[in-house]
Order: sequence, then structure tokens, then C-alpha cells
Amino acid sequence: MLLGRKYRKPIVIPQKNVKQWKYTTCNYCSTGCAIEIGVDEAGKIVTSRGHAGADVNRGKLCIKGILEHELFDSPGRGSTPLLREKFHRPFKPVDWDRALDYSAARIRDIQARRGRDSFAVVSTGQLLTEEFYTLGKLVRGCIGTNNYDGNTTLCMASAVSGYKRSFGSDGPPGCYADFEHTDCLMAFGSNLPEQHPVIYWRLQETREKRRFPLIVVDPRVTMFAQFADIHLPLVPGTDCVLINAMLHVIFDEGLEDRAYLLAHTNNLNELETLVAEYDPKRAQKVCGIDEDTIRTVARLYAGAGAAMSIWTMGINQSTHGSDGVANINNLNLATGNIGKPGGTSLSITGQCNAMGTREWSSCSGLPGYRQLENAEHRNTVADFWGIDPEFLPKRRGLTQTDIFPAIETGEIKGLWLIATNPLTSMANQPRIRRAMEKLDLLIVQDVYEDVETNQFAHVYLPAAVWAEKEGCHTNTERRVNLTRNVLPPYADSKSDFWIFREMARRFDTNPGIRFAHTPEETFEEMKLLSRGAGRILDISGMSYDSIEAARGIQWPCSEAHAQAWRDDPGNLKGEPRLYTDGKFQTANGRANLIAVRFVNNNECPDTHYPFWLNSGRVVEHFHTRTRTGKIGNCNKFSPTPYMEINPDAAAELGVQHQQYVRLLSRRGDAVVMAQLTQRVPRDMVFIPFHFHDCVNRLTLGLLDPHSRQPAFKQCAVRLEAVDQREAARLNSERRAF
Amino acid sequence: MATTNTALSNSVATAAAGEATDCETQKPLWEIRSEEQPYAFLSDSGNERQNRYGQAIDLLELSGLPAERSLYINENPAVGSNPHRNKQHGFFFTADNCIGCHACEAACAEKNETPPHLAFRSVGYIEGGSFPDYQRLNISMACNHCDDPVCLRGCPTAAYTKHAEYGAVLQDPDTCFGCGYCTWVCPYNAPQLDPIQGQVSKCNMCVDRLEVGLKPACVSACVGNALDFGVIENLPPNREQASASIPGFPDPQITRPNIRFQQTRVLPEEMRRPDAMPVKYHKDDKGRYRPLVDRRKQAHAGGPERRWNLARLSSRENPLVLFTLSSQAAIGAVALPLLGALLGVESLQQFQHSAAYLPLAIASLLLVGGGLLASTSHLGKPRRFYRGFNNLRHSPVSREGLGIAVFIAALALHILLSIPASGWARDLLGGTYGPAGAAIAAPAAAVCGVLAVAAGLAGLYYMNRCYRIKARPFWDHWQTGAGFGGNTLSLGALLSGSTIVATLAASGADYRQALSLAGALLVLGLALEAAGLAAHARAMASAEHEGAASHYMQQTAFGNTYLLRNGLLGLNLLLAAALLISGIDGAAALAGWTAVGLLLIATSVIGRALFYVLVIPTTMPGAFFWKNKGFEEHAREIGLADMPQVGVVGSR
Repeated sequence: MLLGRKYRKPIVIPQKNVKQWKYTTCNYCSTGCAIEIGVDEAGKIVTSRGHAGADVNRGKLCIKGILEHELFDSPGRGSTPLLREKFHRPFKPVDWDRALDYSAARIRDIQARRGRDSFAVVSTGQLLTEEFYTLGKLVRGCIGTNNYDGNTTLCMASAVSGYKRSFGSDGPPGCYADFEHTDCLMAFGSNLPEQHPVIYWRLQETREKRRFPLIVVDPRVTMFAQFADIHLPLVPGTDCVLINAMLHVIFDEGLEDRAYLLAHTNNLNELETLVAEYDPKRAQKVCGIDEDTIRTVARLYAGAGAAMSIWTMGINQSTHGSDGVANINNLNLATGNIGKPGGTSLSITGQCNAMGTREWSSCSGLPGYRQLENAEHRNTVADFWGIDPEFLPKRRGLTQTDIFPAIETGEIKGLWLIATNPLTSMANQPRIRRAMEKLDLLIVQDVYEDVETNQFAHVYLPAAVWAEKEGCHTNTERRVNLTRNVLPPYADSKSDFWIFREMARRFDTNPGIRFAHTPEETFEEMKLLSRGAGRILDISGMSYDSIEAARGIQWPCSEAHAQAWRDDPGNLKGEPRLYTDGKFQTANGRANLIAVRFVNNNECPDTHYPFWLNSGRVVEHFHTRTRTGKIGNCNKFSPTPYMEINPDAAAELGVQHQQYVRLLSRRGDAVVMAQLTQRVPRDMVFIPFHFHDCVNRLTLGLLDPHSRQPAFKQCAVRLEAVDQREAARLNSERRAF
Repeated sequence: MATTNTALSNSVATAAAGEATDCETQKPLWEIRSEEQPYAFLSDSGNERQNRYGQAIDLLELSGLPAERSLYINENPAVGSNPHRNKQHGFFFTADNCIGCHACEAACAEKNETPPHLAFRSVGYIEGGSFPDYQRLNISMACNHCDDPVCLRGCPTAAYTKHAEYGAVLQDPDTCFGCGYCTWVCPYNAPQLDPIQGQVSKCNMCVDRLEVGLKPACVSACVGNALDFGVIENLPPNREQASASIPGFPDPQITRPNIRFQQTRVLPEEMRRPDAMPVKYHKDDKGRYRPLVDRRKQAHAGGPERRWNLARLSSRENPLVLFTLSSQAAIGAVALPLLGALLGVESLQQFQHSAAYLPLAIASLLLVGGGLLASTSHLGKPRRFYRGFNNLRHSPVSREGLGIAVFIAALALHILLSIPASGWARDLLGGTYGPAGAAIAAPAAAVCGVLAVAAGLAGLYYMNRCYRIKARPFWDHWQTGAGFGGNTLSLGALLSGSTIVATLAASGADYRQALSLAGALLVLGLALEAAGLAAHARAMASAEHEGAASHYMQQTAFGNTYLLRNGLLGLNLLLAAALLISGIDGAAALAGWTAVGLLLIATSVIGRALFYVLVIPTTMPGAFFWKNKGFEEHAREIGLADMPQVGVVGSR
């Protein structure tokens, strides 16, 4: 009491009274942070904290993770199954048996009338791996539709495709620890501080100890771009030209790692021939980065002892996303930067378990990175599941982005959506909305009853969320981590695992198929499928207990790794990197160099639609805001949609800061609030993608030919003045949460 | 001070002895995470003895208090193990590194369980340059636990304490009555007034974590390595600069805040705010960023063109418009006849003995009483009004309140004691006083009257002091005093003058002397106010602070209203002066002075409302939605604010 009163005032600070800390992994993005949830004596969740001993986050969490434990009883949770014959009638609450019986009967009916593939299933990257595996088994082994995909097609499909084309298999070859070893880091269309703050922190920690060049390629001046040593504000959609020009300089000046190329790659000639055409003198006119800078960056990257590339949606969400990934792989193969500490091609994934769905959901193939096109793989899985191999299709069916057009054309009549919200997330909303109206059966399985897609549902199945369930996630660096069950599911909602098992009971297509009773048993089952010589996706050395003890284990982690722990219990880990021996998952064990020719098929700005429309995330929201939009201390930082627009462009149009503007594209319109900032160039506007009835009313979403991922970030719009009062009314009407 | 300290140390010693037996069952002040990382622990190595302002960092040395005292956090008697617990601590903000990710704010909100519309820590930003040579500077700001805590000095309820432990400035929400004065004086927006709870709360420095050697929750959560914390003037490892300010940060001389900055990146010469405040920051020749008017800001101001915005004159501070004007009018109205009579002005002595004297005094009493009631209703917790006098030692609000309270009490006594001298009241009450009582009543009434006037003037002085706030440069000008004094003269003269002149005229007495006197005081009051306003406008127009932005708003968003008030005030001054000099009487005078009176009331109300709505504090820059007054207003207008997760308190 230095100043103030003679007598002490009480100091009251909220006390959490934690009785027990329970181990979980964050359910938002793919960083894979370990979170401990604190429960009090009554078993009520009172707080949470980052796990200080987990290697991924070392105690840190981002805003979403810090407040994540508040979501369990947030408004809008589904409490009981709902049913209606037509989507324009009101829902009636029903019990689970009725909801599931009805759903199964309608699915069978549609399939009987229109063929097995007339019913489609679209899942997510948000479930637990055991649930993905169970869903895959249900869809591939019981329901038997080939039109089954995940919403990961909207975010990671290009990375998967690019990895497969280059290395013969999916699977990011690097890890976060590579930051500690790299001598040059190049980020393509990745804004770590906003999208993956904890990965950014890992990078920042190493940069505080040791400076190395950071190059950021992004058409906006993001915080990452601002803190980079070199920022390349390239023309949207021209990253292939930039990389080809870099490769041109590297080959031209003999900076490549020729020994590595000759020993470990295919198609060197094709690549060299193609990039010879991409002289920086010509490339600069296309990609907007001057030739000197291209040469500087190419020399810097090739000259670094170890150099690594990271990328996110700036690459993936493009009409040549898969090519972009392959080209980044080309760059790293050419400079010998694959499979070595600090040298890697690391895709920074989006959803918490995008990796889990890629590995185990059977969406694009069969579990454990197996392919439908491979007879041996089909036989293995069919044998393991106890089904007829002929029941499995011989090639992959439609992706999520092709399923909606197939609804439009009438090929698909029924759809089961699991933890995904296409009525906000898909490009070209007017078209999606019309397609949804045409469905005979739409089952929406989601944590939230107020998820926008539910407007068109016939059956709504309320799902449990995150720590109401138990199971694993795999993060960006292939680390499998565990979420322990902390509390029972909300009201009469059920875990997705339970829903899949119950649905499976209602299909007797393959009587031999059996489903494990618990997620942990399922994990043990998956381990059996993961074993095998030469397989990289090997989790057979893990168990729930060892995962928790190690706070996450990276695959490959074989029985041999498990034996090593028994000898040295302090050393509980899998392999941090893939392809360290230069052997790849291709037929001849060599990586494929893929010559990527730039074709400009984007809807570029013109006189009628003079602005690029760019979209992306903000740190306080996740995806379609169904969770973060209800957590006040997240949502308050951007409670309504807005648009970044350059003040010079705004002045020309008479648009003022904090006024509403109407945007028009060739698809539809949207109303947003203008934020005048020099962060964006004069011919571009940027809108966060999280908001319902907003940016995706405008986007075109041309598809990548390989990955079928939409180009969310490149299309053209124009701006028009709008009556401020009307716009304000529209804005508040469109924000139900 | 010495005796207090001894008493305190004794009580602490007794408490410690008493609680020793409970120690086994005692819970730790904070549970340290298993495998806690080094970044979370305080790690002070510096040996600075004094801070840059020459103040001792060792607070025991500064205060003479004993060591090892418990903070009794949540009534827990444990004494923290932190070896530096009696040194002044502060935040260290590496602006070079802040990515604006909100992790600090979220960690703070989670730990302190603050609702979305409050935040003990907030991140705002300023930005400048042009694409792609663009830079954004994020600023994360909480309480700076200042050497000179203006919140503590200002708080009338004495809810604040600056502790010798860590130098933490802590506030007790259970003492607070929600007047919000601390939110006016703090330049950093640290105290958070919750309109729902009706009280203030603020950053508690996470003293529970500090006691076990951990940095505050916000610091531990930072993922940009921007926030740090430790003994003040200690440079954290790997940092090279400890500046007292960064662009967008108010003048540190106001409070000597305990925060240091590293900001080595060269910024564009002009940095703008994303919120609706028409303020930007421009680099001067010494490299400092000075606040300037941002004439491009339009949404909030409604455009650079002049507008009326009459509806926006009505604000949360309406009760204060009422309170200040009515108390000024009442004090003026009481003082004029009373002092006039004492000074031997014949017509006023005559009035004092008339039947109308008591009604005027009673009307004044009701006026000031009503104003006080209005200002009390403006509190978050009006039933705690009596705590307003807790901080006479430091707070001008307490002193203002005391002055007005004594004015009311003395005036009431004066009224009671004046009854025997008043014909009708004496008749009404019969012989209550008796002849002896009546004999001593007159001098006692005079004493009470003088006391009332003295207390009233003292109250007015502190009322003026209340608004001379460095963090509100629009108010921190002699115009505030001139306005208050001017209104005391003009409104007081209007109220009492009209009563006196009417009374004298009705009784057929000569009222011209009283009319000239009241008229002269009214003209003087108007002239004083006008002179203050003219000087204020000149000062604000050339100022390099938020006052200039207020003045810009005054000329644009409220431009027509402002011009109307100025025009009416000037016209009124001319009219009143003409009436005074011409010395006319009769019906013409009645009409003329009635017009003056009406104009005076109109200009006073408009002027005082403008005074409150226009002030722009020197607070930290906000963001596009969060801490943006423009968006908050908009969210309330369109109903978005009705959803609690928007973080804006809806219209109550």
C-alpha cells in the first residue's frame, strides 16, 4: 500500500479450483496443440491451458485454443435428432432410432432406384481419426457409394495431389523442428501469424536465436509479409511462373544439386527444357516480381545450406494448386532440400484432422494411403474388413466439388453431410443453394443445429464435439495426438463414432463386416492395417497411453520404434522426416519432377469487374464461424464481414472507411463493410471467408484439374454504392450469430 | 505515515502468526503447470536502483514499509516467494514483434473471466505507407501500473491502491460506485467501466502468478514474443531498446507509466488509426509521432461537411449537463443577493427582507439538489453515493462533491434560520422560534449563508479541476473554468435577477439598481464564456493533440450546432450589453431581458452538451471493430449489439 488506503482492500482474482487436468488436442487447426482441460470437483469444465510439456506448442495456444473450452455449451447446439419430409416444413424432434431408421431406409431406397452412387457422403477434417476410419468402413463397406469425399477438397486436396504426383504418396515430409535447422525459409501464400499462430511462434523462437532469410510470397502485405526479409507481392495465381523463373535461374547458373537430381528423380530433362522458357526477363511481366528480385531469391534459396518451403491456401486454392505444390517440390528436389533437417516441402494444413481424413477416411481411396485403383490394396482391405473385394469400386468417385454439380444434374439424389457447412464454405453459393433444393434426402450431422446448411436438411443428427468424444488427430507434421474424453455429449447428442456404428447396424450389405466397440479398439484395428514393409504411414508402434505420455508421436512409428522406447523410455518418438534416404513411394523409388506450364485460366479483372477478389482467414475465427461466432471473446474482433480495400481505389469510387459497399461478380452479390487500408493493392479487395452469405456469393471456384480443389482466391468483382440503411439491415439480418 | 506503517506491520505480523497453523491446508496462490517453460518464469537480472524518472525501484525503500507482507489474494494469507516482489514491475512491449493475434487478450479474458464487452488488455493498431510499402504497428496495452496513478488520485471512492508489492495498482470493484471518472483520467483505457455491472474493474497484473514467480497470463500467452514483463528498466534478453513511448502512445509524462517499448523498425512518417477517431500520428523533426487531426475520417463524423447532429447531443453524460448547469445556476443565484446584501447593496437588502427571498433560496436548493440527484443516478451503483467522499485526500470529484454537499446543507440551514426574518414563513410556522430564537437566528442565518456561498464556490473550483484532465486535452484549457464561472454568473444572475427585479417591481420599489447589477453580472458571465470559447477555439485549432480532433468534430459533425451556439451567444452578449447600457426599463426591458434569458438557457444547454460529446481522450488506438466507437454506435443502431458475442453493450 504505497498509495491509496490505510486499510487493505480485498484482492479478488477468479479462482478456477481445478481438481483434474485432462489431456486433449485442439480441435481447430492442424497445428496440433496439446490442451489440458481443467475440471472441478463437480466435473464441470472451468478452464484450460496449453500443455507446457507438449513439443508442438510448448504451453502456447492461439486465441481460439485459449477459449475453446467455452464452446461445449455455446448457443445453437443440437440437443435431439430432427426430422421432416420436406425442407420447407418445420422440423419435428424424434428419437435416435427413428432418425437413423428413417435415414437408412431412405438411403437404401434412393440407391435401389438410382444406383448405389446416387447417394453421396461428404465429411470433413474435424472428426477424430477413428471416426474417419469407421465412416470410411461404413461408406465403402456397407453403404457402398463411391461418391464419398471430405471438405478437405476445399483446403488440402492440392497438397495431397501434389505430394502424390511428386513423391508417390501423400504425407508432408518435414516437421516444425526444421525451422531450427533451415538457412532460408520461403512461404508461399501462407500467413502463419494469422492462420497458424503457434507454428509462427515456433518459427519466431528460432529467428530470435538465429537470423536466416525469410521470404514471403503473398499478394497482400500480411503481418508475415511485413516481418519478412523479402516480400514478393506477386500477381494472384502466378506462383508457377515465379517458381519456374527461379528454377530457370538455378539451372542456368548451375546452382542445382545435380547429384541429388540424378540419383533420386525422374523427368529432369523435361523440367530443364520447360523452365528454360521461363527467363526472369519474361516471367517478371506475368508474375509482377522484377527480374533482379527473382534472381536474388533463386540464388538465396539455392545457395542456402538447407532451405525449406511452406505453403497454405495461397497455393492450394488455385486452378493449378496441384501443379503449384508439385512445382514447390521441384524447387526443393532441384536444390536437394527433401528429407534433410531444415530442407523440406512442408504443406501447412488447415483443419485439425485434415491429415487424419487423408490417412484413414477412405475418401479418396482406402485406409492407410491405399488406392482404389490398386487391386492388391482393394484385396487387402476387403480381406481385413471381411467384405467381397468386388464390392469396392475400382477407381475413385466424385470429389466434393463434383458432387454438387452432380446433384445439379440429377445424378445424385441423396446427401449426408458430416461436420461441414457447404452453404457457407462452397464457392459460387447461388449454384450450391439451387443444388441443395433438389435433394430428395439431405442428412446433416453437425454439432450445431443452427449450422446454415440445416435449412435444407430432412434429417438433422446432433453430434458431440471435441472432448465430448475420445480419439486422435494427426497434425501438419504427421504427429498423432490424443483427445481424452472430458465430458459427456451435450444433451441427447451422440459422438460421430456412435452414429456411424449405429448407422452401420442398419446396412446388411456385407454381413461379415464388424465394427469395433470403442475408439481405442478402432485405433488398434487401424494399427494392424498400417503395418507393412516400405509403408510410410505406419502407426503400429503407438498406443493411446504412449501417445499421451509423449504428447503426440509422429509417424512413421513402427513396432521397431516401440521396441526402442522399451529400451529407452525417455525417448518416445517416431520419425520426424520422410524420404531421408532419398527413396520415394513411386514405382521406381525416385521422385517425379513435374514440368508445370503456366496457363492463365483465371477470371482476371477487366473493365466490367475491375478488382481481384481475394479471400482468407482471420485469427479469431475458424472456418464458417459455427463455433467461434458464438464465443464472444473471439467473435468481437470481427463480428460482421468486412472488406479490405485500398484507400486510393476507395477514393475514386467514393467509398468511405466503415461504410457498406455492395460487391458484384458474375455469380452474385454481397454486402460488406469497407476497411480502407494500404495492405491490399489498388486492384484487389480482400474479404475474410468465414461469414455466411458473403464472399462465396461472389467466388467462381474454378477447379484444379488434378485435385478438384476450387480457386477461391482468384476471381473478379466490381463495387457499387449501396443505401447505407438497407445494407445495415441486411448485414444484421445475415448475422444470426 | 510512520505511525500508519507501524500499525500496519503489527497487524500483518499478528495475521501471519495467526495463520501459521492454517498453512498446511492453504492452497497455492497459483498452480504452476507441470513442465512449465522458461518463457513463463520471471527472470530478472538488472540492478537498476532508480527508474528513468529518478524514482526508487525498490518500493520498500520508497515507502518505508516492511517486507514479507501478504497481499491476501482471495484472502489467502500466503506470502509469495518472488524475491523481487517489492520492486516496481512493468510490461515490456516489443512493438517490432507484435502480430496482433489477440492471444494476450484471450488469455487475460480467460483468466479473469471478463465478458466480451470488457477487456483488461486490448490490441489496437495504427498503419501507414502505401502498398506494398505498408506497415502496421500493433499495440497491446493493459494497465501500466503508473508511478503517478491518476486513476487512484481521481477515484472518489478510493477503490484504488498502489501496492508496494510489484508496484501493482489494483482496484476493488466492490468499493467502486461506477462513476467512471477513472476511465476519463487514464490515458491508456485501462479501467473498464461495465455498464451492465455498474462498476469498474481492471488489470490486476496477475499478482497471483507473480507471487509464484510466473509472468502474467498475457505475457506467457504471447506468440509473437512481443510482450514481456519484469522489474522496470530491466531490458529483457535479446532486446536492445527500452523506450518510454511508441507512436500512438500518450505522453508518458502524464502518469509515468511502467511500460517500456522496443520499436526499432522505421515507420512511415504518417500513421493512421483504423477506428473512427479523427486522429492520426505524424512524425515531427525529432522523430516523435504527434497526434494530428485526420480529416479523412468521415464515417463517424458524418463527413467533412458541417452538420447538426442534434440527436447526438444527448449522451450518457446528460445527467452531468444537468448537474453542472443547475449547481452553477443555484450557487450564482444564492450568492448574488446574499453577498450583495452583505456588501450593502440597498435594493438587495430590501429583497432579502421580502417575501420572495426564501422561495428563491428554496428554488436554488431544489435546483442543486435535483442536479445532484441526476448526477447520482448517473452512477453505476447509485446506492453507494455516500462513498463519493472517500478520497478527499486526492480526488477533485470527492472535493467537488463535498463542496456541493456543504453548500446544500448550509443553504438548508440558512433557509431554516431565515424563517423568523420572513414575514409569511414566520406567520405560517407560528411562534416556533420564540423571540430569543429569532434574535440569534438572523446572524446565524448570515453565517450559514456565507458558508454556503464559500462551499459552493469551492465546489465550483473543484468541479473545474475535475475536468482539467491531461488525458482529455479538449477539456484541459482555461475555457472550462471560464465556462463554468461564466455560467455561474450568467445563470445565477438570470435566476436571482429576475426574481429580485420582479419582487421589487411588484412591491413598487425601485428595481433599476438591481436590474443593472444583475444585468452587468450576466453580461460579464457571457463575456467570460465567450472569451474562453474564443481562446479555446484558437488553441485547439493549432494544437497537436486530441483536442484538435475534438475541435475538428466541433466544426464538422456538430458544425452547424456549434455555429448556432456561437452566434446565439454573441447575439445575446450584444443584446444584453445594449439593454444594460441603454438602461431602459418597463415593458421593453421585460421583453428584452426575457429574450436574453431564453437565449442564455439555450446556449448554455447546447454548449454544455457539446462540451461532453466532443471530448476525445488520449486513449490508445482501437481496431476496426474492437474499441472502435464508430462501430459500437453503429452496432447499437442496427441491433447487432443485442447479441452479446458482438462485444458491444446494447442500448439499456
